[in-house]
Amino acid sequence: MAGKRGFAVCMVFILLLYGGFLLCLFKPKPGYSDSERRRLAVMPEFSADSVWSGRFMSDFEEYAVDAFPFRDRFRTAKALAAGGVFLKKDNNGVYVADGFISALEYPLDTASLKRAAERFRYICGKYLNDGNRVFLSVIPDKNCFLAAGSGRLFMDYAALESRMAGEADFAEYIGISDLLERDDYYRTDTHWRQERIADVANRLAQSMGAELSQDYRIHTLERDFYGVYYGQAALPLAPDTLQYMTGEDMDNCSVYDWQNGKEIPVYDMERAQGRDPYEMFLSGPVSLITIDNPEAPAGKRLVLFRDSFGSSLAPLLISGYSRITLVDIRYIHPDSLGRFIDFEGCDVLFLYSTLVLNHSDTMK
Amino acid sequence: MLFSSISFLYYFLPLITALYFIAPGKWKNAVLLLGSLVFYAWGEPKYVVVMAAVIAQGYVFGRLTEKYRETGAGKIFCMVSVVISLSFLVYFKYANFFLENLNALAGDAVPLLRIALPVGISFYIFQIISYTVDVYRGEAAQKNAVDLAAYIAMFPQLIAGPIVRYSDIAGQLRGRGHSWEEAAEGIRRFVIGLAKKILLANQFGELCAVFRAAEQKSVLFYWLYALAFSLHIYFDFSGYSDMAIGLGRIFGFRFPENFNYPYISSSITEFWRRWHISLGSWFRDYVYIPLGGNRVGRGRHLRNILVVWMLTGFWHGAAWNFILWGLLFAVLLILEKLWLLGALEKGRIWPHIYTLFFVLVSFVLFNAEDLGQAYADIGGLFGVGGVPAVSAEALYYLRSFGAALLFGVIGATPVPRNVTRRIFGETACREVWNIAEPVMLAVLLLISTAYLVDGSFNPFLYFRF
Repeated sequence: MAGKRGFAVCMVFILLLYGGFLLCLFKPKPGYSDSERRRLAVMPEFSADSVWSGRFMSDFEEYAVDAFPFRDRFRTAKALAAGGVFLKKDNNGVYVADGFISALEYPLDTASLKRAAERFRYICGKYLNDGNRVFLSVIPDKNCFLAAGSGRLFMDYAALESRMAGEADFAEYIGISDLLERDDYYRTDTHWRQERIADVANRLAQSMGAELSQDYRIHTLERDFYGVYYGQAALPLAPDTLQYMTGEDMDNCSVYDWQNGKEIPVYDMERAQGRDPYEMFLSGPVSLITIDNPEAPAGKRLVLFRDSFGSSLAPLLISGYSRITLVDIRYIHPDSLGRFIDFEGCDVLFLYSTLVLNHSDTMK
Repeated sequence: MLFSSISFLYYFLPLITALYFIAPGKWKNAVLLLGSLVFYAWGEPKYVVVMAAVIAQGYVFGRLTEKYRETGAGKIFCMVSVVISLSFLVYFKYANFFLENLNALAGDAVPLLRIALPVGISFYIFQIISYTVDVYRGEAAQKNAVDLAAYIAMFPQLIAGPIVRYSDIAGQLRGRGHSWEEAAEGIRRFVIGLAKKILLANQFGELCAVFRAAEQKSVLFYWLYALAFSLHIYFDFSGYSDMAIGLGRIFGFRFPENFNYPYISSSITEFWRRWHISLGSWFRDYVYIPLGGNRVGRGRHLRNILVVWMLTGFWHGAAWNFILWGLLFAVLLILEKLWLLGALEKGRIWPHIYTLFFVLVSFVLFNAEDLGQAYADIGGLFGVGGVPAVSAEALYYLRSFGAALLFGVIGATPVPRNVTRRIFGETACREVWNIAEPVMLAVLLLISTAYLVDGSFNPFLYFRF
């Protein structure tokens, strides 16, 4: 190796290694990753016990990665190399197509669908009688509109719906896939956009014999919305704009959060400024919520078993019901529901996204 | 500790190199030993004791072997050391294999030992055996216990080789030079090894994991898996060897080469001259030749080949698929020696196809969890059991990993090296290379760091051996 070149190689290596070493030691460490929405590992406690058991070392490995200087930029560099140099179709299971970020959802897990339907059947058997009407609707995830066209792996969504409808033969199936398209979802997030699903709310309400007000005002959140996929993709993409709709019934209704024992707003503006603005819709992941609407016809009640997609849809149903009870059985066991909900004469809607149905082990 | 980890690259390596180069000459081996113990203890704090015991007996019996070399007692001391060393290996690595098989044969239920395999035990046991045997054969025993321990425990080659024989570096342990040139050569080798491991091997490993988890297998997917695993094991292990050789060079040592583009071989015989060279030569010098090698009758010669390759397979893992893997190569090597080599030497393309075919199939056997999976995987390559020819998953992953596979296939040949030499060997381009090479190495190091920071797939295959 030529003398000058050898010296240059050594200098570059020393600079990078020792520069990295000093930054690792002295650069302040963030405790939370906004892009990944998770707490970062902290320096483990050093003790004879933790060293002898090997716990200190394994925890330190995690800490060293989490606390690495300019971590997000390195993750971006990796994502760019994976896509630009190695032409990977996805990076850690996340891909970008037509400016939309999505996570591969594949393959279809028929056992998971069966399990979900069994959970629904259990609830119906435990709480419902002939006086209840039961409905089921499946929300296709974003891949349904992105994956096939961009050459990614995709599930057979028609088969999924049909199988789910067949498994849940105790419920009347309401199809909504035909009302949805790619642009009804955020580009950087899993969820659908509330301002674009009024037709879905109408279809559901009409199928269940309710009538909704169509008088909405659209508001735009004055901050950028970086959805959950944004951090996973680690690519420099434009943020979304988050909009929400209000109406007279929404203004006058009262919402009660049973999990935390307090009144909450339909749109939580504190959470809108938080780490996940989508949580502004009915305060995000809450196990049990009731919405009472004094303006609606008395006795028209709906129990909505739902996932996070339901948080942004439920406000649009308020005008049709005197009470809507939202239940998320990922956070509350169905056996507990009898203490909070009077199912007598209620309509029941199981509204779930394919993402949850295909991973139904999250349901209690 | 993994070479391909943030803790090694940005904590351990800066500290150990600083301490090493600050330390005066006579303390350098002690610094290396201390660093190596920390390196080993990082992953296996309890098993430092095992390694220390192996080294201690090697030191004592090495001295005794030398002292009584001229009498019969020297041979006995050497054999005692070899038996003790092998006992450690048998206890930690093979005891449960023997118990399982005895239980299966006798219908008993003798409880298995609840022990973990100490990382790198197969490598450092072979090194200590080579030391005592070399001493018996006439090499001077190491008087300085720190130097012997530094040789066995030296972190660059401690856990995945190359298997450095004592005779190769005895002189370097006593004294060695350091220079910018040597360090730069070591850095170059280390960074290229790191990139081979992180940028290529890990991606192929990811493809293998995807294959294993896939529900929709197809013949195409099985072959994709066979190719991916063959590239994975090559870039994983040769990348590790490059890093080990490079680190050794930075500290002034010259370790033996371990790989020489094995996938360009035109026979299995040639393949094993190019693959895991240090292991092959260890078995040749410490098992094959002592058994009589090829200087015996044909029957004993063939037996020697079978024994050596069965042991080679068994060294890789305590499971029947590894033994069968070794025996498969024994059969192929015997066939080549008896009939095929002449024809293979005359052929141009088909010998390469023949070699790659058997190497790919052999690695499918090698990577199987058990014989049932080996049968299913090898059958899958040929569509046994009604496996469809193509599946959507196979096509997707072929597209997604296509570029990496292409880089891997080209990178497994001398083409990149030859092209680089041809372009930058010209006088006019040499000046460009003086700037381009440090920049290229910096980019490789940073991109490898980026992959590590992203926390993707990063196991080392040879850590289980």
